[in-house]
Amino acid sequence: MSVADYREDMQGCVRCSSCKWVPFNHMKSHRFSGNCPAISRFNFHSYSGSGRMNMGLSVLEGRSELSEKVSEVVYSCQMCGACDTACKSYREIIDITEVLLELRAECVESGQLMVEHMMTLDALKRENNMLGEPKAERGAWAAGLDLKDINKEKVDVMLHVGCRFSYDPELRGSIRRAVRLLREAGLDVGTAGAEESCCGGRAFELGYRGEARNFADDMAARVKASGARYLLTPCSDGFAAFNYLYPLMGIELEAEPVHMVQLLDILISDGKLTLENPLDMRVTYHDPCHLGRMSEPYLGGWKGDKRDRLRSQSRTGRFGIYEEPRRVLGAVPGLELVEMERIKEYSWCCGAGGGVYDAFPEFATWTARERLEEATTTGASAIVTACPWCERVFTDAVGENGFEIKILDVVDVVARAVGLEEEE
Amino acid sequence: MAMTISDEAYRALEEAVGEENACREPAMLDSYCWQPFLNMSTDLWVQRPIAVVLPGSAEEVQEVVRVCNAHGLKFKALSTGWGAHNGPTYDNVVQIDLRRMNRIIDIDEKNMIAVVEPYVCGGELQAEVWKHGLNTHIVGAGPHCSPLAGATSMHGCGNDSIYMSTSSRNLLGVEWVLPNGEMLHLGTPGSDAGWFCGDGPGPSLRGIVRGTSGAFGGFGVFTKAALKLFNWPGPDEIDSEGLILDSTGGLPDCSLFYNCQFSREEDFIEAAYRIGEAEIGYMFVRMVTSEFVLLLMPHLFKKLVKHRAIMDLLDKTMAYPFMILLVGSTERELKYQEEMLNQIVRDCGGMAMKFNNIPPAANLMGMNLLRCTIFGTVFRSGNMFATNLDGNEALTTQTDWCSTMEKAKKRYIQSGGLLDDGSDNPYMITYENNLFGHCETIYLYDQRNPEHLESLEPLGFDTTLAAIEQCNVPLAAFEPVTRTAMSPLAGNFNRWQKEISLAFDPNGVSDTGLYTDEKEPDPEKIPAEKMEHFEWLKARFGRKG
Repeated sequence: MSVADYREDMQGCVRCSSCKWVPFNHMKSHRFSGNCPAISRFNFHSYSGSGRMNMGLSVLEGRSELSEKVSEVVYSCQMCGACDTACKSYREIIDITEVLLELRAECVESGQLMVEHMMTLDALKRENNMLGEPKAERGAWAAGLDLKDINKEKVDVMLHVGCRFSYDPELRGSIRRAVRLLREAGLDVGTAGAEESCCGGRAFELGYRGEARNFADDMAARVKASGARYLLTPCSDGFAAFNYLYPLMGIELEAEPVHMVQLLDILISDGKLTLENPLDMRVTYHDPCHLGRMSEPYLGGWKGDKRDRLRSQSRTGRFGIYEEPRRVLGAVPGLELVEMERIKEYSWCCGAGGGVYDAFPEFATWTARERLEEATTTGASAIVTACPWCERVFTDAVGENGFEIKILDVVDVVARAVGLEEEE
Repeated sequence: MAMTISDEAYRALEEAVGEENACREPAMLDSYCWQPFLNMSTDLWVQRPIAVVLPGSAEEVQEVVRVCNAHGLKFKALSTGWGAHNGPTYDNVVQIDLRRMNRIIDIDEKNMIAVVEPYVCGGELQAEVWKHGLNTHIVGAGPHCSPLAGATSMHGCGNDSIYMSTSSRNLLGVEWVLPNGEMLHLGTPGSDAGWFCGDGPGPSLRGIVRGTSGAFGGFGVFTKAALKLFNWPGPDEIDSEGLILDSTGGLPDCSLFYNCQFSREEDFIEAAYRIGEAEIGYMFVRMVTSEFVLLLMPHLFKKLVKHRAIMDLLDKTMAYPFMILLVGSTERELKYQEEMLNQIVRDCGGMAMKFNNIPPAANLMGMNLLRCTIFGTVFRSGNMFATNLDGNEALTTQTDWCSTMEKAKKRYIQSGGLLDDGSDNPYMITYENNLFGHCETIYLYDQRNPEHLESLEPLGFDTTLAAIEQCNVPLAAFEPVTRTAMSPLAGNFNRWQKEISLAFDPNGVSDTGLYTDEKEPDPEKIPAEKMEHFEWLKARFGRKG
């Protein structure tokens, strides 16, 4: 595909600006009415879903150049998909997310690259991860957990931890707790250890199609070799890649992608995990974009006029993973879940996605700060989420801005409720 | 070659608003040019501005306007910016994007007033004023539109006009940056007496600044406005799941939703008048039955529209329906309104269907109606729509307008110039105790289809001719061809408008393309016999000088 293949999507924009706000029926206040971090932060129309498409069309029609500044605008976007959902409130003919993906691929194709992303990609190619950490240390997080090695034996459930959980020392406790919870529930999983590599999803989002393809092919081969029926991941980015980006690339996985919160939900409802310890906490839940609207499965490319497409044949963001984490938190005795204004398919992004964390860290933190302010208005003492990238940027923003709110993974909450002892 | 801004002028703009709030990157400027809505041209790109600025305050707007005066540039401000009328019409225009001016300055609960900046949208204001037991008028165009823009610079009717009137009628105090950069406060703010009145003590210029249909951004910049608010006995917020089509945001307890049907026009009119006399109703919209199918089930509609008998069954059996929302502050009041409505409909030979107890219908018509979101689904069928705008006039003229426009549209539908929407596709609302009405006949097209785009100007011209024949001034008179045609027939209003413009804007820095500029119809697009007919009308009814 190319930008030109989305000409009709771009021409279909009526410039109503609905892409700049949460779907209007869900608007509860002026303060938290926005849905798009980029337009909210930078204000020029070109930073909105609509404006990006208008710019793309301008470049496609030769009215303007894909300049360095245009590239900067294109990449100042978390690829959170909120504009797409807002647009689809009204119509089914425009796939903004796919247009934005193509614009990024076009930037790469024409050499308008962000230096920070080039460095990330170099690191990815060299070390197989987005953080540039040594690949030999990828499996170090699992030391002492005695996990099955999928390189040596077949498994039913293959655990793909993802780059951030593999290397971020502040998040390591969460992923280790996740594995211990699975053990508690009697579930055995296997990992690729040091052989695990990036899913390639972020590379695809950055427009580096060839590299993304290589990593995705590698991933698919590893899954196949493992014999797993389920591909379990605690990384929402990875989950969205498996459900949306892989099919978009034409890559089929031989295992069903499952996010950790989905599995926890099942284990709790099946009685495999008993949440006995009351947690006297008021928490709010942040829907990661890539677990929510962006994880909605790809429905296949549409040939012909998209006006002929039925509602059910277009991704709206309504069918992401929203209820499972809420059920899990709802099952914790004593815990009070209070909702923020912007939730589920119209959730505000954490700020980390789409390469923004690498190239525009201040923008990432600004976005996170907006979310944390929203969270604090609920009176919650913790913001719970289910994505290591969200947890990372929230933790950064809390530290820099002095918010009095804890950042927790759903796993952390469940571990406490189960009574899992803290590791030394 | 596109005109560019001088470095000196651009630096002055940067100084006015801050470097990060000014832009002259061509592709970014082009994001302000893609304006297919209400664009009669076959090229959907409007004129590219030479720069875009994002002022954060009225003082910064003043500074930008002064820079334009000093450097011989024009300016055009936009708020939420939907439609071709927001874009420049000259090649040396600085686009003033008011997005950073998005504050709700005050909600005066006691006096039922909100003071807002230009970029506050209707949905945002409604969400906030509901918390005070108040409501704001939302234009039929939707909650993404700016209430300030509607009130100061355009017309602006909506579902709620039966209760909350039209945007122009809700305008109170105004802060206005004049085309020379000075600031003027209209009404009470002009004498530091608060915002509660648009007509003084303090300068009273509402007629000058906006008249009937507003200056469409061609007459300075309105940076604050006070708007009337209205009673809202409903909840602070209505929880809902889903997007529009699977919305669960049902009707609040203080409301009742009815769809009323009449087979004869005179019965519909009589019922509407009596509803106005009884002073009941919170929202009132006339749409024909097939329009609901069109909005909600466009794929099914595409099949149905080929079967005349089915379309007639839908639209002609009960040809004059309206939907009405009743809202009461007490159970007793609501009951009174309900009984009154039922009695009126019965007396007028109609049929009233209550939707509250039908959950799918109540959900669909709850938040979607209260926040005016449902009408955006009009994009689903054709991708784009436009309307034949009639002047707001006596209710009976509006039903006549529907019939006239139905006929006008049919010709274009038959020739493939528009999508087939069954022709009869009105959006009609009432106001001022239902004595007045506003009717837009919707027509659907695909902006990506060149054949459709070719139809727009001729259809617009037909609309103008029809309006003249019905002694009406089309609200589309902001469009230069229509203005040129209408002005001699309506007291040469544009001559006076130009005088006013010149008095306030001696350097001609406002982009007056959609305010006072004139343009003759394109003879290549308008058939000769229509041009002849138009000339005859002008000669017969027009005024010289």
